[in-house]
Amino acid sequence: MNKKKTIIICILLILFLISLYLAVFAGYKDFGVKMFLKSFHLSNDTDSMILSLLRFPRAVKAIIAGICLALAGMFMQAVSKNPLAEPYITGISSGAGLGIALSILVFNSSNYSVFGFFGALISSALVIIFSGLNRFSVTKLILIGLSINIFFSSLISFIILVSPEKSYTMMLILSGGLTNNEVISNGSLSLLFLVALIFAGLLIPKLNYLRLDSDLLEANKAKKNFYLILIICVSAFLSSLSVFAAGILGFIGIIAPQISRMLLGQDYRWLFLSNIFIGSMFILISDFIARVVVYPLQIPLGLIVAFLGAPVFVFFLTRKGEMFRD
Amino acid sequence: MIDIKNLSFCVDNIQLFKDADIHIPKNKITVLVGPNGVGKTTLLKIISEIIKPQSIEMTKNYRELFYLPQRIKYPQGITLEEYIESSFFKKSWKWFLTNEDKRKVDEVLELLEIPDKKKTLIDNLSSGELQKANFALGLVSDADMLLLDEPTSNMDLVNQIKILNMLKKLTSKGISTLVVMHDINLSSSYGDYFIGITKERKIISAEKKEFFTPETLQDIFGISFKVISTDEDFHIQIFN
Repeated sequence: MNKKKTIIICILLILFLISLYLAVFAGYKDFGVKMFLKSFHLSNDTDSMILSLLRFPRAVKAIIAGICLALAGMFMQAVSKNPLAEPYITGISSGAGLGIALSILVFNSSNYSVFGFFGALISSALVIIFSGLNRFSVTKLILIGLSINIFFSSLISFIILVSPEKSYTMMLILSGGLTNNEVISNGSLSLLFLVALIFAGLLIPKLNYLRLDSDLLEANKAKKNFYLILIICVSAFLSSLSVFAAGILGFIGIIAPQISRMLLGQDYRWLFLSNIFIGSMFILISDFIARVVVYPLQIPLGLIVAFLGAPVFVFFLTRKGEMFRD
Repeated sequence: MIDIKNLSFCVDNIQLFKDADIHIPKNKITVLVGPNGVGKTTLLKIISEIIKPQSIEMTKNYRELFYLPQRIKYPQGITLEEYIESSFFKKSWKWFLTNEDKRKVDEVLELLEIPDKKKTLIDNLSSGELQKANFALGLVSDADMLLLDEPTSNMDLVNQIKILNMLKKLTSKGISTLVVMHDINLSSSYGDYFIGITKERKIISAEKKEFFTPETLQDIFGISFKVISTDEDFHIQIFN
């Protein structure tokens, strides 16, 4: 059993490395294996500049976004025991969208990913606090998240309506991408990501405890709710980080955890690794396609993720979907 | 030991308990009997503090409580072994189980006579085996107070007896049990102390000898019983 799982993880690791190679060294400006070898010692020519200033940061952000979304999705699905749960469930998408909309249309700031990040954090804080009032429950959290999402979405639509001249830029940014490139924010992003990843890793064994029926854990309610809230907070933080890195990217947070579960069962220590690889691999490949398909036009990453994700997911469901029973 | 005084609980305008006093002795098997819908499960939930009643004074001296509900949903895609191991991730923050933990799982599976199912997926176990799996969770949980809601309802007669024997042995290790059971014959041979709830929601608690009288049983279930007693054992028949 564990041998089979180890093999699956190794295959995923190899696929991840291939997609990383594609994302960094292939594309309209194809660097090939020679450059790959050369890149280990730094030089000053344009090729190295493209690599170190454009492709590397872009790949790092793709990896961060992919890992954050896949892990957050896994956390939310685990605590809600609902396969439809997704990272944005705590009002992230609309909170982030509102932040981005405000930054572009009101503050005229180019630093929209930071605004999106804080928007996401604020909306999830609101959702978590509201669902904690008068006895916490995950179902309540999902419904409150839904309400906050709808509420903020109406505000976003209103903001777009009152300033039609910028609505095209808005739509483009809201569909997600890795183009926003500021060195300072990249540094803080990576740092925050590492912290979040450590917390996520610490909480992984608790998911193995929480997979037991919630009625069985009910006698340890205090402990159970403590873990649940901690996990939801980390998950909200991870998804906010994904907004910071790549804007709003739907769907990946549902399919990466589901595909992982179909491959590996429900031991979250294995799922942790698998989600890391599948999530980042997916965004890397999507971004590669977004860059090269209709060059020089770049398709928004979010579109590719959805366009690729749906068929891949349906494929897995038809092959290994017998675990989903009503 | 759990001592409850002045328990009152009202739900949906039905007064389930009114100023009730309930005592659950230490190191004994206490059996809770009564017809459907009188509040047996509710009582277990009140004791394990899942439900908060309108009034209660509870004194308790157990370390840890394990409550096994009647209906349980199972996680998909994990083996019996992994299912029981879940319990060990509760306390510490460790990623990997110690050999001690793994040995404990093996021991419990051996005890419950399902070691061959160790690597079987939970989804493929029979309902009796699933009940054993849940019972195993209780055994590895370190709890010294077990609240079991019909833990053997899906088991065959032999397995029921084995589980009850196991509970009996556990009492000598300082583990007290409160178990809901419908088979009064079985409970009469394994229970030490009895709590009955009547249709009128009166609570009758007594030691075995006082409990198994035709009058008490008729009080609880509302039909006539014939009780045949030998030195230690009781055989209860429905009397028509």
